[in-house]
Amino acid sequence: MDPSEVEFLAEKELVKIIPNFNLDKLYLIGGDLGPFNPGLPLYVPVWLALNLKQRQKCRVVPPDWMDVEKLEEMRELERNAATFTPAPCPYYMELTKLLLNHASDNIPKADEIRTLVKDIWDTRIAKLRLSADSFITQQEAHAKLDNLTLMEINTIRGFLLESLNCMYKLRSNLQPGSSKGPLADY
Amino acid sequence: MFVTDIRKEFYEAVADQRVALLVASDIDALCACRILQALFQCDQVQYTLIPVAGWQDLGTAFLEHKDQFKYFVLINCGANVDLLELLQPDDDSIFFICDTHRPVDVVNVYNDTQIKLLIKQDDDLGVPSYDEIFRDDDEDEEGGDSGNESDEGTEPSGKRRRFDEGSVERRIERQREKREWEARRREILFDYEQYEYHGTSAAMMFFELAWVLTKDTKDMLWWAIIGLTDQWVHDKVTHMKYVTDIATMQRHVSRHNHRNEDEENSLSIDCMRISFEYDLRLTLYQHWSLYESISNSCYTCCHFKLWTLNGQKKLQEFLADMGLPLKQVRQKFTSMDMSIKENLREVIEESSNKYGMKDIRIQTFGVHFGFKNRFLASDMVHATTALLESTEKDENETDNFIKALDSLSRSNLERLHSGMDLAKKKLIAIQQTVASCICTNLILSQGPFLYCYLMEGTPDVKLFSKPMALTLLSKYLLRAFIQSTRNKRCRLLPLIMAAPKDVEKGTVLVVGIPPESETSDKKNFFGRAFEKAAESTSSRTLHDHFDTSIIELKTEDRSKFLDALITLLS
Repeated sequence: MDPSEVEFLAEKELVKIIPNFNLDKLYLIGGDLGPFNPGLPLYVPVWLALNLKQRQKCRVVPPDWMDVEKLEEMRELERNAATFTPAPCPYYMELTKLLLNHASDNIPKADEIRTLVKDIWDTRIAKLRLSADSFITQQEAHAKLDNLTLMEINTIRGFLLESLNCMYKLRSNLQPGSSKGPLADY
Repeated sequence: MFVTDIRKEFYEAVADQRVALLVASDIDALCACRILQALFQCDQVQYTLIPVAGWQDLGTAFLEHKDQFKYFVLINCGANVDLLELLQPDDDSIFFICDTHRPVDVVNVYNDTQIKLLIKQDDDLGVPSYDEIFRDDDEDEEGGDSGNESDEGTEPSGKRRRFDEGSVERRIERQREKREWEARRREILFDYEQYEYHGTSAAMMFFELAWVLTKDTKDMLWWAIIGLTDQWVHDKVTHMKYVTDIATMQRHVSRHNHRNEDEENSLSIDCMRISFEYDLRLTLYQHWSLYESISNSCYTCCHFKLWTLNGQKKLQEFLADMGLPLKQVRQKFTSMDMSIKENLREVIEESSNKYGMKDIRIQTFGVHFGFKNRFLASDMVHATTALLESTEKDENETDNFIKALDSLSRSNLERLHSGMDLAKKKLIAIQQTVASCICTNLILSQGPFLYCYLMEGTPDVKLFSKPMALTLLSKYLLRAFIQSTRNKRCRLLPLIMAAPKDVEKGTVLVVGIPPESETSDKKNFFGRAFEKAAESTSSRTLHDHFDTSIIELKTEDRSKFLDALITLLS
């Protein structure tokens, strides 16, 4: 899976906006989008929020978890725990990038938020790498990881699967009398 | 006719239509175009962008597109000629013209159906009233003329000739009146159209439209500021007008700055911040070394007379007076010591007052986004002009236009930096040419004007085959000449400058600029003068440029054209 595909899936998440125009209810395949009235907040998918923002038709309200104190707490929790703590949001990394690139003037303390989210991401990815490393070297059969987001899974997926494949190849070539033969190539 | 409510009469009329944008090749037009493009993108209006460099381009573009489009928006072109006669459009084509060229042609002002001028009615226009120019003649009983622009009233009075004494007298009276009215009309039109000058920036007009629609952003404000600064850099408006317009922009800047920022919720460093600066008049000094900038800026170069040895010494004295070591001053501005950079502006202002340069600081705006990027409005104007008129090989005019347009957005910083490098080369070339012209006395006084011709082999003469570069060179040259000549009379003369334009076709580009003075109103009479001189000597000229004071002339006809001009103007 490409990171841009993950971002595409993340754009379905709902975010609160305050429009400045009038429009009746929209009936789309994915669901209904409520009537737009100027000054009244409503929830829309991120893809629509960004499009409206770029056309200067709305103001984006940052999600609840995108707050400096909350993110600082989460960062501390993440650093202290050995396993993964629940992520701020299933798509926190993509939403941070999208919202801070296109709507940073509506989000207070945008630079600090960016740094905090990056810190949380770095800690989680470090834990993930350690875990993958031990999984491969100790040739374990199965593992269970809670609270991972799709982007993190996607990051490790390529490496983990490739390395497990290589390990399998090496192991099957070491066993004598294997049906595949020592010079098998995949 | 003038558009009073720009939102209803212009924007809402074109918002659900397909529009053709015909944009002239100067920075003000580029900025106005950018603002309009951003507005169109917000409302998803379909448009086609067509850069035009002169009247012929305008004609061809119109012919190509007249079947597909009903609405045409002309930016910085088209107001100063009778557009309907030039283009011969169908009756349902509507033209919106936002142009800084004045005087606006009277037919454009008084046409109620097809031509809408996006110009403020009080923008220093002085248009003659309707009755003075047009006349509906329905009093004449003998089936005389009716309608506009009556010709010499010697049309025969028709078949119903009455042999009445009284009526013959009345007829003679009317004819005499008509002749008098004709003569007055010719005089009024001559006075009105004699001088060419510039009005409020087109970019500012479109920014006001954005403001009325409450869709104005800092990007658009910055483009409007660049459009205004372009008028100042290329000396198109008087200092008073520039300062008044700066005050208008300053109000918008404060409004935008107070909107978002306060103590607790500071804005991200990547957001654009525009600030009012009372900054030095040294071109590109923050992206160059201070020494280079002082040596190549017109103002300082002319005051110190840096083409003489004495001048160089004075510059060294000036730097020593401020306590700036030469090593520091010659390196890139960003690497200078912080202690020197802190009070640089005040220190330079104090020292320059001692050396007779009272206006070293000028009111302008600067922008700042991200950690690295700080630009002054004049830096951007120079960079974009250099890109627009770049004479590198394999580049045609449309490519240059698109590159210059791109360099105005924040995401194309490498293009902007390459533009600044080109601008530095251009400025160095201009200073060297000015120095050589003055030292070799290439400027000749021809009586009513000064004249200078750049020979073909002059270094960098290719750069001056473009109108804006040549105009900039002429303005610098005139200022330098005024400083260096002892002849008091020569200081009040205008300057005509000629440079080879196209070696294969054998043409030169001729530019005329008004005389330089403190209270100059920047009104240029060379447009009409060139036309008349070309007619009287039947020289092969091409009056293609939107500024009528810039023409192309065959090299062989140069001398007789000049002689005709001398007789015309003396």
